Amino acid sequence: MNFWRRKTSGAELDEEVRAHLEMAAQARVERGVDQKEAQRAARREFGNVGLVKDVTRDAWGGRWLRDLLDDTRYGLRMLAKNTGFTAVAVLTLALGIGSNTAVFSLIDALLLRSLDVPAPRELVRISFGPPGDPEPMSGPMFDRLREQQSAFTDLFAWKNAPMVLTEKGGARPITGAYATGSAFPTLKLKPRLGRLLTWQDDEPSALSNGIAAVISEAFWLEHFGGDPRILGQPIIVDGQTATIVGVVPRSFNGITVDYAPQVVLPFIFDVAVRGKSSGRFRPDWTWFSPMGRLKPGVSLAQAKANLSTIAPEVLKESLPSDDQRIDYLRNGTFSLSPGRRGNSPLGEIYGRELWTLQALVGLLMIICCANLASLQLSRTFNRQQELVVRSALGAGRVRLLRQLVAESAILSCTGAAAGIVLSQWMGAGLVRYIEQSDFPVFLDLRPNAAIYAATIALAMLTVLFTGALPALGLTHVHTEEMLRSGTQRTVIHKKHPLAASLLPVQVALSLLLASLALLFAVSTGKLLRTDPGFRVKGITFFRVDFDERPEKGEALLDLYRKVLEAIRQAPGIASASVIKHLPLEEGGSDESAAPVEGNGQETKHLFANVVGPDYFATAGTKVLAGRDFSKFDRIDANPVCILNQTAANFFFPHESVLGKHIRSTEPKANRATCEVVGIVTDAKYNSLRQPAPPTIYYPYEQLPASGWGGFITRSHDTSAAVAAFKGALHRIAPDTPLLPPITIERLLEDSIGKERMTATLSLFFGSLGLLLTAIGLYGLESQRVAERRAEIGLRMALGAQRKDMLWFILREAALIFAIGVPVGLSLTFGASHFIGALLYDISPLDPRVHFAAILTLLSAGSLASLIPARRATNVDPMVALRYE
Amino acid sequence: MGNSTERDERNTGGSGMLEKKERYQNRIELLQGTLDLLILQTLQWGPQHGYGISVAIRSRSGEILQVDTGSLYPALHRLEKQKWIRAEWKVSENKQRAKYYQLTAAGKKQLSRELSKWSQFSDAMAGVLNPEQT
Repeated sequence: MNFWRRKTSGAELDEEVRAHLEMAAQARVERGVDQKEAQRAARREFGNVGLVKDVTRDAWGGRWLRDLLDDTRYGLRMLAKNTGFTAVAVLTLALGIGSNTAVFSLIDALLLRSLDVPAPRELVRISFGPPGDPEPMSGPMFDRLREQQSAFTDLFAWKNAPMVLTEKGGARPITGAYATGSAFPTLKLKPRLGRLLTWQDDEPSALSNGIAAVISEAFWLEHFGGDPRILGQPIIVDGQTATIVGVVPRSFNGITVDYAPQVVLPFIFDVAVRGKSSGRFRPDWTWFSPMGRLKPGVSLAQAKANLSTIAPEVLKESLPSDDQRIDYLRNGTFSLSPGRRGNSPLGEIYGRELWTLQALVGLLMIICCANLASLQLSRTFNRQQELVVRSALGAGRVRLLRQLVAESAILSCTGAAAGIVLSQWMGAGLVRYIEQSDFPVFLDLRPNAAIYAATIALAMLTVLFTGALPALGLTHVHTEEMLRSGTQRTVIHKKHPLAASLLPVQVALSLLLASLALLFAVSTGKLLRTDPGFRVKGITFFRVDFDERPEKGEALLDLYRKVLEAIRQAPGIASASVIKHLPLEEGGSDESAAPVEGNGQETKHLFANVVGPDYFATAGTKVLAGRDFSKFDRIDANPVCILNQTAANFFFPHESVLGKHIRSTEPKANRATCEVVGIVTDAKYNSLRQPAPPTIYYPYEQLPASGWGGFITRSHDTSAAVAAFKGALHRIAPDTPLLPPITIERLLEDSIGKERMTATLSLFFGSLGLLLTAIGLYGLESQRVAERRAEIGLRMALGAQRKDMLWFILREAALIFAIGVPVGLSLTFGASHFIGALLYDISPLDPRVHFAAILTLLSAGSLASLIPARRATNVDPMVALRYE
Repeated sequence: MGNSTERDERNTGGSGMLEKKERYQNRIELLQGTLDLLILQTLQWGPQHGYGISVAIRSRSGEILQVDTGSLYPALHRLEKQKWIRAEWKVSENKQRAKYYQLTAAGKKQLSRELSKWSQFSDAMAGVLNPEQT
């Protein structure tokens, strides 16, 4: 039944009934009854007009729809009338649902979502290494494994690699990946355009026939304008030309969730670029990350058994014969893990923190629901008069209840919609938090079915909690009694038991949230304040890629010298040097060494770094004894090294170190010994959380074969450093790709990104929880004060003191805290077990933190309850009594 | 005062007002077949409005059958929806605009069906109640 017809037939029904009444009255008048009396009698005989119309309309059918429309219209009207309540409720819901959706969509993207390929459950990740240390494998090992296995339909390997795209306008970094020819057939992907890579593309024959490349759909659209003529066009990557043969559909963004390759090339491309030095067929380069698709009916355990059967043969044919890592590799085994979700390095880093955050926002959601429920409860109590009038006019109990549920449904739908919008912002913010310096993190945070389901479920739960439960209690209202008792009073003083039990729960959960937030904040603050052993501000690092330059050997060294000198001469540069392994970024090389003089031990875990002259002055690492490297530490000079304090104490305990010698015990050491010319303070390397490893520094000109990281500069601001580096490169080595600068400050922030994320977000969620609880308390106290106005007035008229009255009102708030705080504390102590591992240098039971949390909660709570309480004691007794 | 309210509420339980509608609905169900028959039969003598139908049924039954408006109007609207009767706005003898209902062809057939069903039913009832008369 459409709306228009409903309206006209409604008017018709009105007229029909009016005609009936008039004719009935007319008949009585004709019998001689007085006009007024006749009308009254006709109406009496007819009965309840509204009700008759109502049941008549029932006969039309489609009643539920009509009622739904009525409920909705009425609900909207009621909500619009109470803008304050509606705003608070929608905001509460939006915050609760929004933060839950945001965190969950990140968890979904990083940890839960499957690769968008057919039958992802058949995919298995394969790694190789000593037990507990799974790693990629070498190209030859992958080849042998692929030939000999029988559990998989096929294997493929994948390697993400940042690449450089050369175009007319210059060179620019892009995200690239190497894939074996078997990758796309095994993944069962269909091309968006052209064709995808096949096994032939990865054969050595491709070297002479031309290398094929595929590009991602996003790259195709934004860089090539979605032009289909792109097929067959050349593309210059890492200085080598390949031919674009196809476009990968946008549903597939590589096998690593946070890295979307713009260009995918066959592994053989590496041979084209690097020639003989390529790692494709080198047994000592482990860079193939293999995956396989299980044959139908083969289980993971069967595949594992198959691989361990063929392992000895594969290893015999593929292990390098004389590598320093041979022992390490010999102990290796193949390990399998489900590959449905691909790789998620960020998920591995952030997984625990994200689930912790999800737990926190879950708590926040409970607080939101509790708050909404008590808001709704107090509002519904204030609406008793209205509800009673409506039921007296013939509204059924079910109808009233449905009305209340409808209002909650409108609220929660609006809240959910607002929450989804909010979650988009919050999600983008979260991604920014976990972004690292080198490349923007690619994360596809589309709100998918799972997220919608979760949000809608949350909204439905909220409806149940806030609409139906309070309504159930209310429809017991006794009409007549209510009507008789007058319009200005709330009749039922007894509170709903639900309302009484909600606030202590809120207090307990807010305390838990506040304590956790403070713990994370203090822990992160401590991390930020630890002395890393180098300057944080003003240090900028520039990675360089001189692979394409003609200079080799001494000429390459000279190129470095020239660029370094040019940077140093540039305005605004205080100091500059060269460094191979940047701190906090990647693992450096492990070195084994022993002291020559003295009786110190040998160590296999000496961290080695290669730096240029004046490195320590540039990085701000203190030289405790001896000297910094100088430009005279060249290949023809005396071999020297510098130790950090930990290494010095390890090799030469209780003796003077300067002038002593260190002997490298690596099988293929560059030099036998070197003289220690300096001792520097410990500087952190892999992570701020770990103590600095024993470290040895070599001067870069004495280790020319080691390959260079890049230039490090100290300047007042980063732009001066960038200008200096750009200028130097432009003058001395043009057409070298310009890689984005990395500041140590950013690197440090990145390295504790997850700690900062957890701390910032838990502080945010903690304050939200606190705010919501304060609102809840404020609402409760305001309601109590309104209810007891007369009583307060009477007591004050009888001589009660203000402070007695304050206590009289605050009594209940005090009780709520007396219950909520111990419960919250014990919850926090229960949770401490789980969060201990996430904290740095602070115990999860630290009494100062919990004391601070309780204090914060108490002050927020007292503020929220004192405002209405003070208002109550300011009541003029006469006014209050007259009101009655 | 507050206390007495609570006690009263507990004693009385649910509200009389709230149940009124259910009573209406029960009666419709109870009378449904019969009321339809009465309406169709009344309309056999010509178009009539709701008030006229209720007056006619009351007078023909010797004031025994009082048709409740809460049953009559839903029944009229339902029969109209089933296309057994048709409605038309006309002006009555007293210059009163009223909605007149009249039988359709389908309604006439329905009436004869209902009539034969009713006579079967009343014969059967009579047979059970007064066995010696058959």
